[in-house]
Amino acid sequence: MTHEIIKIEGMTKVYDTGEIQVAALNSIDLTIHKGEFISIMGASGSGKSTLMNILGCLDRPTSGHYYLEGVDVMEKSDNELSAVRNKKIGFVFQSFNLISRTSALKNVELPMIYGKIGAEERKERALELLKNVGLADRSHHMPNELSGGQKQRVAIARALANKPQIILADEPTGNLDSQSSVEIMEIFTQLNRKEGNTVIIVTHERDIAEFTDRIITFKDGNIIRDEYTREVGQC
Amino acid sequence: MLVFENIMLALTAIKSNKMRSFLTMLGIIIGISSVIAITSIGDSAKGVVGKEFESFGMNNMYLYPNWELTQDGVEESDLITPEDIEALKARFPEDILYAVPNVSANSDTKVGRVEGKFSMTGVGADYGKFKKNLSILHGRMINKSDVAGGKDTIVIEKKAAMNLFNKENAVGETISVVINGEMKDLTVVGVYEVPSSLFDSMFMSQSYSAYVPYPILVVGDGSAWAVELYTNEKKDQAALGNEFVKYLSRIKDKAPNFYIFESAESQMTTINKVLGTLSLAIGAIAAISLVVGGIGIMNIMLVSVTERTREIGIRKSLGARTNDILMQFLIESMIISAIGGVIGTTLGVAIAAVGMSFAKIAVVIDPKVIVLAVGFSAIVGMFFGLYPARKAAKLDPIEALRYE
Repeated sequence: MTHEIIKIEGMTKVYDTGEIQVAALNSIDLTIHKGEFISIMGASGSGKSTLMNILGCLDRPTSGHYYLEGVDVMEKSDNELSAVRNKKIGFVFQSFNLISRTSALKNVELPMIYGKIGAEERKERALELLKNVGLADRSHHMPNELSGGQKQRVAIARALANKPQIILADEPTGNLDSQSSVEIMEIFTQLNRKEGNTVIIVTHERDIAEFTDRIITFKDGNIIRDEYTREVGQC
Repeated sequence: MLVFENIMLALTAIKSNKMRSFLTMLGIIIGISSVIAITSIGDSAKGVVGKEFESFGMNNMYLYPNWELTQDGVEESDLITPEDIEALKARFPEDILYAVPNVSANSDTKVGRVEGKFSMTGVGADYGKFKKNLSILHGRMINKSDVAGGKDTIVIEKKAAMNLFNKENAVGETISVVINGEMKDLTVVGVYEVPSSLFDSMFMSQSYSAYVPYPILVVGDGSAWAVELYTNEKKDQAALGNEFVKYLSRIKDKAPNFYIFESAESQMTTINKVLGTLSLAIGAIAAISLVVGGIGIMNIMLVSVTERTREIGIRKSLGARTNDILMQFLIESMIISAIGGVIGTTLGVAIAAVGMSFAKIAVVIDPKVIVLAVGFSAIVGMFFGLYPARKAAKLDPIEALRYE
């Protein structure tokens, strides 16, 4: 018996560019269970990033329903969506998106600041998270003093700051060399296997997708394939 | 909500762009410092005027006919007679402490080969008691018997003694002057000194000042165009003046406002009013530069929002609410202008202090002005920071994240 953490019904997203209307998502239905390790594949413009933005509550669909833990997110206010992003979702981006001129530690503390967690607890947890990704000795380094792989590990630590259930990673290995890519994917695998996080990764690289249990392929705003790479659902 | 974090964040942002932050503050610094310097200089000048008036007695007053009501010049019947003065004194025994016809005379004099010119003021017996800044160096002031007997005595200023007699103590010397067409030899009974005053330069005079008993200056029946009073200083001078004028007009059978009064207090009020208006006007012009400074802040905050678009997107994706971003930028602009305000205040006070020390005037700084200036600069920061902050807060997170 698995718990449906994300359920999407008939979701459509249309970008109105004035003269022409582009349907980025075309009436999508998708269900994701708690603890799944999923990759979303597709060429650029296939709608995978649009889906990611909507899943991350950064954007709203034109029509359709998005139930996050059984609650329809479309009915929530902007401030409530901010709280959802803060508490329930951890973002990891292709270009790391660390705040420059701000130490690794402060970057990791950021979601906790918006989550109104006290300064001491914040610092303690941020240090622990950095230790978990192997960067305990880099906590006071600025982003420009870190390598790509290190930056992405800081970003993962930051994504985990408020203990979200869902991790959304948009091309997390896109700017990394192959060795760092493997290291980052191993961290995601660990998070999924040991911590039970639901991990959703957008990628266009087949070998990155191979790390995950389920590969969903997009084309022109439609899901054209949804396959399991190994036996799952035994939990 | 997150105020402390936002302040730390703002300070970091200001520190990481030191030059830019300073230039942005400069507008506020110049605005605040000029407002404070100007108002402090104005207040200091007022303080000086007040001291000056106190030194020669705030209860000094003159009564005289209102020139505007005397159509063909002052007539014989308009003059104030010794009887009028006695009547006034009798009517207001508590309030009039000293009343003497306002008489004066100018005369050339020659002592040996040294020439000089005297400007003599007729005074009564107690004049020295009321004229507070006058100090007798040698001899004495004009006294009761000088006045009663109309004695040919004179009290001269130290400068005259030094120049004419080549010594400070000129008591006993004789000075020949012409009073009302008559040659008179006056015996010096005292030498006085008055501390140098702000008004010295206003009344440029070649002649020496001197005091003589008033009876030797009066003509005819002793009438004069004005009467000099020293009043009960515990009472409201304007109210006293009005009562005196009303009474004098009545006994002289004139219209109630035929005579007018001029008190030291009313003169001081006039001067202070002029000074106050002047510093307010210049201060208002200086305040315009504060607005210009505010526009500078707005401009740089708009640049900052654009530069940090991506950062705003990141913060939003991590759970920052619209208000969190709004506060972040608002607090940053407020801190920039508050720091500018504090620096400007310090600078303004320093300018006022240096300027006043050159003029050898005690600096008066109204703490209200400082609170007002710093408060106003923070409001300027808030007002001009609001638009950029709202712009930042309203950014769409996806657009912001994509921004290069």
